Amino acid sequence: MSDYELVVESALNGAEHEFEGVTVSEVVGKSLVMVALPRPKFKEIESSMTKSCGLVLPEMEHSTQSNDSSITLWRLQKNQVLAYFSYEGNDAEVNIANRLNAPAYYTDQSDTWAMIRVSGPRSRDVLERICPIDISKNVFSVGNVSRTIMEHIGTIIYRDDDDSYVLLTMRSFGVSMLHAIEVSAKNVL
Amino acid sequence: MIINHPLLGPRDSEEFVYLGAADLINRPNNWEQDASAEDFYQYQYIRENIAGDHRELWYHEQGDQSWLVVTRNTLSHEIINVELAQDVSRGIGRGK
Repeated sequence: MSDYELVVESALNGAEHEFEGVTVSEVVGKSLVMVALPRPKFKEIESSMTKSCGLVLPEMEHSTQSNDSSITLWRLQKNQVLAYFSYEGNDAEVNIANRLNAPAYYTDQSDTWAMIRVSGPRSRDVLERICPIDISKNVFSVGNVSRTIMEHIGTIIYRDDDDSYVLLTMRSFGVSMLHAIEVSAKNVL
Repeated sequence: MIINHPLLGPRDSEEFVYLGAADLINRPNNWEQDASAEDFYQYQYIRENIAGDHRELWYHEQGDQSWLVVTRNTLSHEIINVELAQDVSRGIGRGK
């Protein structure tokens, strides 16, 4: 057993920037775990999750929430979901595996992503300049999630409220994505 | 170009990677037999250079990581049909 502990540092050092009608801030305090779903066990996994915390498997590019709203599942591929949930410990994988209690395969990805929230009444105006998918209010509803490419960077976009979007990029692209959003905000606002 | 993904709807072709003719799905199964050399030669190297509707494989790398069979007109770039490669493969009696 080592006598030291590695301490997690957030990808963007808690960055937060205010623009007129838009706030751009790093999402902290969230964990992200990939839950791989073996095809023959879809039904068994779903019934286990429903029993443990009221979750059902979402449709493609949609999300579902647990009874207490603390866990959100994103379906970005047919055979896997991403669990996005409030947790700050170093053992997110064990934590979610215990809470879901389903026979799936879990991989902690929390520290490999940079998470940025773009919120405020003009958030869509800023994002539509860099996002190639249609994020208009009635097409990309609250709870929708999609994986796409923005400014040549692979990005996951999740709408978590009426005027709030969470963007995820690989951690090493976090600063570039933050810059792209800020440039777009300066151009639009 | 917009590719109308069967599961996700219309997506920009920038999200995809192009591989080539959909013939690659038909990998010969006779690799243990002498005749396989000719079959693999055909499979690996011989392609039609079609001026018209062409079935080809596209990979949704910046999306759901699915393989698609896209039917595209090579003269006009019109996309006529998009199917999941998995469904095409199953449809012709191949594995998963």
